[in-house]
Amino acid sequence: MTQEEKIAMLEDMLELDGGSLKPETALCSIDEYDSMAKLSLIVLCDDEFGKKLNGEELSGFKTVKDILDFMG
Amino acid sequence: MDFENKKIIVAGASGGIGGATCEALAAEGAVVIMIGRSEEKLRNQMEKLNGTGHRCYLCDLGIVDSIEPCISQIIEECGAVDGFVHSAGVGDVRPLKMSKYDFMLRVMNINFFSYVEIVRCITKRGAYKEGLSIVGVSSVGAQYGRQSRTAYSASKGAMDSSMRTMAKELGVKGIRVNNIAPGGTRSSMTADFDAYANLSDENRLIALRQYLGECEPSDVANAVLFLLSEKSRKITGTILNVDGGKMSC
Repeated sequence: MTQEEKIAMLEDMLELDGGSLKPETALCSIDEYDSMAKLSLIVLCDDEFGKKLNGEELSGFKTVKDILDFMG
Repeated sequence: MDFENKKIIVAGASGGIGGATCEALAAEGAVVIMIGRSEEKLRNQMEKLNGTGHRCYLCDLGIVDSIEPCISQIIEECGAVDGFVHSAGVGDVRPLKMSKYDFMLRVMNINFFSYVEIVRCITKRGAYKEGLSIVGVSSVGAQYGRQSRTAYSASKGAMDSSMRTMAKELGVKGIRVNNIAPGGTRSSMTADFDAYANLSDENRLIALRQYLGECEPSDVANAVLFLLSEKSRKITGTILNVDGGKMSC
């Protein structure tokens, strides 16, 4: 999966317009990145990438790039 | 409560509540017939049981078609049963937008369809003894709304509704059907829930409602044994909350 496709997936998950997210986007700047979105991200990483994301790792994400790097 | 030589099937025997139920039953003299998916976990659970004669049967309850052959084998090898406890379940937390049909079906298969299928099989003539009692471990999650629990709450709600209809239909055979609805209970399932507790203010507020504190699996098991026993002989078609007061406020 390309980086663009992963970003599109995140935009869809957060219900944002296409092009809203860049790798350098700070997660704290995204209002939609709330507790429900974080749960959705956990499910997404498991379902689509086979990666188990725990709370500690989740707390360590600061930018979109951190999430993309975790996805692999 | 006298369970001497009573044969009780426990599905989900290696879970927190299921395991505590098995241990409590064995301590009261029951012959426990455990159903689970992991041979290793069942063997570990077996070692914790007092008494002899207990049995383990492997069955993936998520594959509903595999249940009837398993129950047939149990009845053939162990004879007619006195009770059944459905303590199998998954508590996957997932927002609605991620709860696609295949996920919903998986949860429903394990938590609900397997329950109905086992009840269907053990209530056939020759499979049960007079006074059969059936106890499903449901959840207070069926009684109130909570984010990211669509599949789980639906499955427990289905258990509660079907329990009432089955109690009515099976009453003519002298069979009782009831559910236990635990609140927050210390177990591996709730540990999974709690792993994401800090993600949600809702979780913290809900925890405060259980003003008697978190339940232990043995608290739920004690209630299960009551409903299995003769002491509850006139109780059927009901839900007994073991919830530390959660649903009272």
